Amino acid sequence: MDAFLTILLKSIWCGAAAIGFGVLFNTPTRSLVAIYGGGVVAGLVKYSVLSLVPEAGVIISSFLAALVVGFISIPMAHWRHVPPVVFSIPSIIPLVPGVFAYRTMLGLVRLTKANDENFVSTVQLMTYNAVNTLFVVMVIAIGVVLPMYLLRKESVKNIRW
Amino acid sequence: MVFEKRRSTPIFKPLNKLPATVSIQDLGSYLLEVGVALLRAGAATKRIRTNLRRLADTYGYHLDDHIEPRALSLTLRSRDHEQQFTGTRVVHGQAINFKIISGISRMSWAIVEKPWTEEQLWAELDRLKSLPDYPRVVILLVVALAGSAFCFVYGGGLVEMAITFGATFCGLWAKQELVKKKFNPYLITYFSAVIAGLVTVLFSFADKTLGLEHALTTSFLFLIPGVQLINSISDLMDGEILNGIDRGVNALMHALGIALGLSTLIYLFGLHT
Repeated sequence: MDAFLTILLKSIWCGAAAIGFGVLFNTPTRSLVAIYGGGVVAGLVKYSVLSLVPEAGVIISSFLAALVVGFISIPMAHWRHVPPVVFSIPSIIPLVPGVFAYRTMLGLVRLTKANDENFVSTVQLMTYNAVNTLFVVMVIAIGVVLPMYLLRKESVKNIRW
Repeated sequence: MVFEKRRSTPIFKPLNKLPATVSIQDLGSYLLEVGVALLRAGAATKRIRTNLRRLADTYGYHLDDHIEPRALSLTLRSRDHEQQFTGTRVVHGQAINFKIISGISRMSWAIVEKPWTEEQLWAELDRLKSLPDYPRVVILLVVALAGSAFCFVYGGGLVEMAITFGATFCGLWAKQELVKKKFNPYLITYFSAVIAGLVTVLFSFADKTLGLEHALTTSFLFLIPGVQLINSISDLMDGEILNGIDRGVNALMHALGIALGLSTLIYLFGLHT
């Protein structure tokens, strides 16, 4: 129950983060509610997968979350009369791996400072963080654009729901 | 007729019976203006092409375009090859604006259903361009709240969320001021990251018991070049390789700006020790 509550709380805040980016990108007001929903869904998928299947890891869970947002952006685009990207880009921003990116930089700076017995472990840790940052960013971007290509349509208007 | 055979498959069925209600010169100038507005607002290459072709097809012209992230060239031809318009426009700067992207998309669909007059076209574009942004204080507050939301999601507590709120607020305010002063965009990202991080570090120095990581890692997230990154992937997937690389490197430069800003703070305050 506690785990479920944590997932729910995190997802609710993911929605708030998504709205922030919606406003930052000057998104039409009529799509803000949908963007909030998108952020919540992204959080729900990512943290549920992480909780239920821990071995999936942050890369696969982020990919699945971006993919789901990419798919639901199509009916949302119909509903709010906006192109899908207007809805999907702010919604997936909460998936960005900020902590991995920060730890990568921290590791890089550490490497410049001391060539001591910790050097190898610092390289190891930094590489782990860097690779995770890179892969998470890549899978988010690919996951969110993939549905439009899978449905093979020029425009979301040609997709019937 | 030879021309009809040669042309690529139109995205939308051309309205052959419809006489061109807008002259080729006027439509050409208008399409350049629409293309520039879309490029500035942060639309992917395919979206711009689809929108422009939808408009050109509706008025019975054939469009060839060349779209780059900072320039747009197009040639319009009448079906009988009697008339031609060629024009180029350079795009200065970028300001992500989804109201423009969705407004132009809606307009192009409305025109397919019932072609507009030239006056209607320009009036709608002017209206879209003059749509107000969200008030500055609203943007600052909502984005700062988004920063604290990130902080919570990454495991931060209430105090760290409050610090992130303040740091994001100050960082974004600094960014808006630097944009007004027309600084280099990558420098803007660097300085905004430094300022947002600085606020976090100063708060943490005030209370040594506070963990720094959650607040610091989330205070600069408002600078993430998300739109450029997604557009880069979209362009690459569409085969617009050069534009994809251009946008990808642009996103990377912003990411580098954030990383250098963070490194500056890590060095200055010895956070790595």
